[in-house]
Amino acid sequence: MKDLPQTVFVVDDDDAVRDSLRMLLKSAGVHAETCASAQEFLSSYDASQPGCLVLDVRMPGMSGLEMQHELNLRGVTMPVIFITGHGDIPMAVEAMQHGAFDFLQKPFRDQELLDRVQRALVRDSENRARLRHTDRIRERLASLSPREREVLDLVTQGKANKMVAGDLGVSQRTVEIHRAHVMQKMEAGSLAELVRMMMAVAPSP
Amino acid sequence: MLRPEMAGSNDNGAGGNGREIQRVRTIIVAGQSSDRTREVLRALSGFTNVVWPTSLESALAQAGSQDAGCLVIADDLREEPIDEFLQEARELQRNLPIFVITDPDDVAEAVSAMRHGATAVIEIPPSYAALCEEVSRAMQ
Repeated sequence: MKDLPQTVFVVDDDDAVRDSLRMLLKSAGVHAETCASAQEFLSSYDASQPGCLVLDVRMPGMSGLEMQHELNLRGVTMPVIFITGHGDIPMAVEAMQHGAFDFLQKPFRDQELLDRVQRALVRDSENRARLRHTDRIRERLASLSPREREVLDLVTQGKANKMVAGDLGVSQRTVEIHRAHVMQKMEAGSLAELVRMMMAVAPSP
Repeated sequence: MLRPEMAGSNDNGAGGNGREIQRVRTIIVAGQSSDRTREVLRALSGFTNVVWPTSLESALAQAGSQDAGCLVIADDLREEPIDEFLQEARELQRNLPIFVITDPDDVAEAVSAMRHGATAVIEIPPSYAALCEEVSRAMQ
């Protein structure tokens, strides 16, 4: 499933810009798809498709910033590179505050865009790897019995088996057995690894 | 090298001796002695607790302390690029509001500052009012 090719989605209402960006990306060996409007992109986008977005700020209908907002609401983490001919600082700041990966003013050099696209593609694959990692941890967590989950929470708080046994009102031997099952189901080799897994899926502040 | 100063400022106020004292958090203005830094300081003169550290080290130490309310990077700090300073300050305190003042229309610099951890970038001139607004909000 990780082998879907990365695609750069270019969303711009200007035919000439779309064509030149497609050619540029193609010449750099990057697969690109283009859309003439935000609506067109949103109606056809499949979230399992890895890549990044090159998005025009000003478009008739839904603007690039509005589309970014919509993507955020949908939980799409694909990095967004804004391009604009009429950028100003408040606009750039707003886009960045809402999670844009980059914001590039026209005219830009070809290489400038290619560099940023490459960085955005790296970021996307890192994001996806992290999500896959946390998804796997959540699946394993879901496979624990309620008692195993209690043991997990207590041992990752740093409690020794004896204390866990006291807290749960069971024998130390029973805790040891639950604990072994937890380690096995979580595929954790050590307590430290278990703690790291729990940190990875903890909601960020 | 920042440790002693940071530890010092962590000592006062944060102690749990029963009575919670309303701590006055500081607005740290970083920038060399320049017209722009002075203008920023003047714009913020309505706030009581503005500090202007004289060195980069001291600015970072204060940004990392518990008392930091927000950091305003008014100007270049000697030869140091703002982005590096920003990143260091951001690493010290993940949630500290950091505002960067830039020349009007320098979009590339603004984007770079945002990428390196700025909360917002404010172009000056025109808007000292926007700066005061951002600072007030940060200090609430």
